[in-house]
Amino acid sequence: MKHERATARGFDPRRLPEFAPDPALWSRIAAAQQRRVSVRRWQRAAFGGALAASVAAAVLVAGRFGVAPVAPAATAAMQDESRTLEGEWHRLAGTRAAALGSTRLRAIDAELQAAYDRGAATDELASLWQQRNRALRGLIAAMQDGAYGRASSITQL
Amino acid sequence: MADGQTSYVDAVPSGSGFGQTLDRVTLERARRGDMTAFAAIYDRFGGACYTLALRVLGEPAAAEDIVQDVFLKMFSTVRGFRGDAPFGAWLKRLTANATIDVLRARQRYQGDDVEALFEAMPAVAADAEDGVDAWSLLMRLPPRARAVVVLHEVEGYTHKEMAELFGQSESYSKSILARALKRLNDDAGGSAEVQDET
Repeated sequence: MKHERATARGFDPRRLPEFAPDPALWSRIAAAQQRRVSVRRWQRAAFGGALAASVAAAVLVAGRFGVAPVAPAATAAMQDESRTLEGEWHRLAGTRAAALGSTRLRAIDAELQAAYDRGAATDELASLWQQRNRALRGLIAAMQDGAYGRASSITQL
Repeated sequence: MADGQTSYVDAVPSGSGFGQTLDRVTLERARRGDMTAFAAIYDRFGGACYTLALRVLGEPAAAEDIVQDVFLKMFSTVRGFRGDAPFGAWLKRLTANATIDVLRARQRYQGDDVEALFEAMPAVAADAEDGVDAWSLLMRLPPRARAVVVLHEVEGYTHKEMAELFGQSESYSKSILARALKRLNDDAGGSAEVQDET
């Protein structure tokens, strides 16, 4: 294949200037990234809330139609404790509860959802509820210790 | 100068800043989501991304949008960067893809006819001073022809790579390149060399 090439006597691409963008561009990019991170956190928190609501709804429906309880008494007690702990966590964290939410807690909620979806055995469910309660107790302790100013330490719990 | 907010960094440059290396520590920090590492990457490569996009699109605002899109995409995908190729080459590909996507969206109704592409070019006024300015010459070309010239002549893309980028055959970019370089050299008043393409 023959074709023309840019020449020094004609168009010389090496003489094309290089440019620097507006100095404010980086701050706009960084702000956009922070917004994306915040949105993702809220979405995860909303997922956790929806999971808790769906679990509560399942318990109510089971009771309404007289279906045998999905979880035995031990698991039900853990669920009650989980609701109590979650209420305490929201009371302490206030509106920042979602933003400061624990990645560990969200992971456990996802595991719980998956376990219920596939009809997991009671001991597996009980183990996950125990983990959830432990994570919530950790969040509450961190909040009471004044660690809420150090959001990163809470999100890693 | 393209506009009031854009400034030349180097009056006699060659190539682009994508050839710079990125140290392993900064890359690892970026993989962990460290914003200061991203800022360091931007300091090193932001100008190169902007220059490539501006040379093709010719509009500072559109070029800045490309840089923002590329860096946001880089933030979310850098964990998957395995380091098989230099980081700058990876970022260059992200930039080229984003820029061609914009061209594709703008030109979807113009078709892919090379003849029509050049027929749409405005008449060139005879101006000796403009005739020797590489930037002015480049900006006289249609955007898609600019893309082919910049990617092949400056960024070192092969016709095979451009075929993948444009979703066309290799002969498509070869045809555009030949027409564009002839036009550039004619407008510059220089002689055009005919060389074998390898």
